[in-house]
Amino acid sequence: MKQHIRSLLAAGIMLSPALAFAQAPAAPPAWQQGRPAEMSGSTLAPHAPRLTVTAPDAIPVAALRVPEGFRVELWASGMPGIRAMALGPNGTVFGGTRVIGRVYAIRDVNGQRQTSTFMSGLEQPSGLAVRDGALYIAAMHRVLRVDNVEANLTNPQPVDLTAAFGQATEAHHGWKHIAFGPDGRLYIPRGVPCNICDTDGDRFALIESWLPNGTDRRIEARGVRNSVGFDFHPRTGQLWFSNHARDWAGNDNPSDTLHVAARRGEHHGYPWCAGGFQDPAVNGRLCAEFPPPALILGPHVAPVGTHFYTGTAFPERYRGAMFIPLAGSWNRERLSGFEVITVREGEGGRLIREPFLTGFRDEANNRFIGRPSGALTMPDGSLLISDQQNGAIYRISYGR
Amino acid sequence: MGAAAVMAAALAFSAQAQDAARGAALAEARNCAQCHGPRGVSDTPIIPSLAGQQAEFTTLQLILFREGIRRVPAMVEPMRGMSDQQIEDLAAWFASLPSERRADRGPANPALMARGAEISAGRNCNACHLPTYAGRANIPRINHQREDFLEHTLAEYRDGARVGTDTNMNGLMNGLTDGDIRALAHFLAHQE
Repeated sequence: MKQHIRSLLAAGIMLSPALAFAQAPAAPPAWQQGRPAEMSGSTLAPHAPRLTVTAPDAIPVAALRVPEGFRVELWASGMPGIRAMALGPNGTVFGGTRVIGRVYAIRDVNGQRQTSTFMSGLEQPSGLAVRDGALYIAAMHRVLRVDNVEANLTNPQPVDLTAAFGQATEAHHGWKHIAFGPDGRLYIPRGVPCNICDTDGDRFALIESWLPNGTDRRIEARGVRNSVGFDFHPRTGQLWFSNHARDWAGNDNPSDTLHVAARRGEHHGYPWCAGGFQDPAVNGRLCAEFPPPALILGPHVAPVGTHFYTGTAFPERYRGAMFIPLAGSWNRERLSGFEVITVREGEGGRLIREPFLTGFRDEANNRFIGRPSGALTMPDGSLLISDQQNGAIYRISYGR
Repeated sequence: MGAAAVMAAALAFSAQAQDAARGAALAEARNCAQCHGPRGVSDTPIIPSLAGQQAEFTTLQLILFREGIRRVPAMVEPMRGMSDQQIEDLAAWFASLPSERRADRGPANPALMARGAEISAGRNCNACHLPTYAGRANIPRINHQREDFLEHTLAEYRDGARVGTDTNMNGLMNGLTDGDIRALAHFLAHQE
């Protein structure tokens, strides 16, 4: 992929380090790249994580709202930063994190729910997937596998598969969501190492898949800026993925999106086009050249852990529906996201979006009181939603 | 209970949870003063002052030490077995200590000050650290700090040897020469 983007990455980054700053400003931090002069006075910045335990009575479960007939309760807590969740064959729920570097394990022992730190000291172990009794952990470019994981909860001895997968080591947007497809392959995204920049399209802006041992690499989707949520349609097996669009292009542009990977290796628009938004800073290709997203999710809403509900306990309209946690905006003056939405197919395949779990956003004060960041269908048909800000998992059930 | 009421309750809880007096006792027990100074003002080369540091920043950094994410050998033993509560208490204690201009600060070098000001303006240091460089919440105070510590830690960010709760500082220091960093540290250490 040949790209020429002017005025984005400063020329300084191409020079030797000694020359770089003497002649031109070096690259700004990745999250600030593409910030226009008129926004130079903005104090918007990514939200600080909370890494301390939030006591159960300080978790805002009472403020949360679900549709009529549903019930939301606090299911587990005391796990700072918890995001993605994966279920072991014997019922252990594993929880990944970013900054705090931990993987948690939650299980019921003699009717008591027990949470523990299963692994720690990892670099952003945000990607978790279970296959054949083994837990796969993606911690930035590292890929680890813990065999027979539920029999090794106290002394895990991971197998390091990092070299086999050979992922790019750039830190920015290097944190992962991972999942096994119905084809038995492990799907791993690789975000762009910047906000908006020129990249090698064979190494970045990708969703790729491998055999579980890290061989037979295949590019599933191109032009994907940063996907940290995807799943496979329960009937068609197709890959549906959410994507985070760039920052510093305004409060209301561009929107984060939901896509279907209809054709393997298809290009979805980065850096030129995001959800129908033709980026004025990037010349070259037009939005019309790319498949449109399945759904526009909204500006800066930050979809994380996009998940198909596979249970039967919820009413008919929710079966096979997507649940998309929106962790919420930072690069927007009025907060957006901070809720879980459902997306289901209506007549003729038209997608219908509805709010499902709300109350994390304090509209009056433009503040948030939680960040939904993962979703998991449980064997009993309930749905777990993680909240990285409160280190908690909520359980949503239907009926009595 | 509405969202605002829940939030108010949560804030009230966290305010109550941090106790500077307990933090002072813990600082004594863990001998923080040996390196960081009796009132959080460090007299030890490349060891930071902690007086008046933002409590949220100190809390996050202590957790990164405890979890083995930010690896500094001298901090391993002091952090052993420390609870979240103890960390928040310690952070509250250091935040409560007065931050003042260093008594041993040398005169400002005009050339370094000018170069440092230029770098700070170019990288919008004051957007996050505020124009006073006193910081806010998770963004640290960087005025009143030891100049050698600033120089050391800014170079560590540049060289990928220092992790924070995100990679912003690593990106910001990208491309700076040792001379640039010396000037920036000098400029910051001479802020009031």
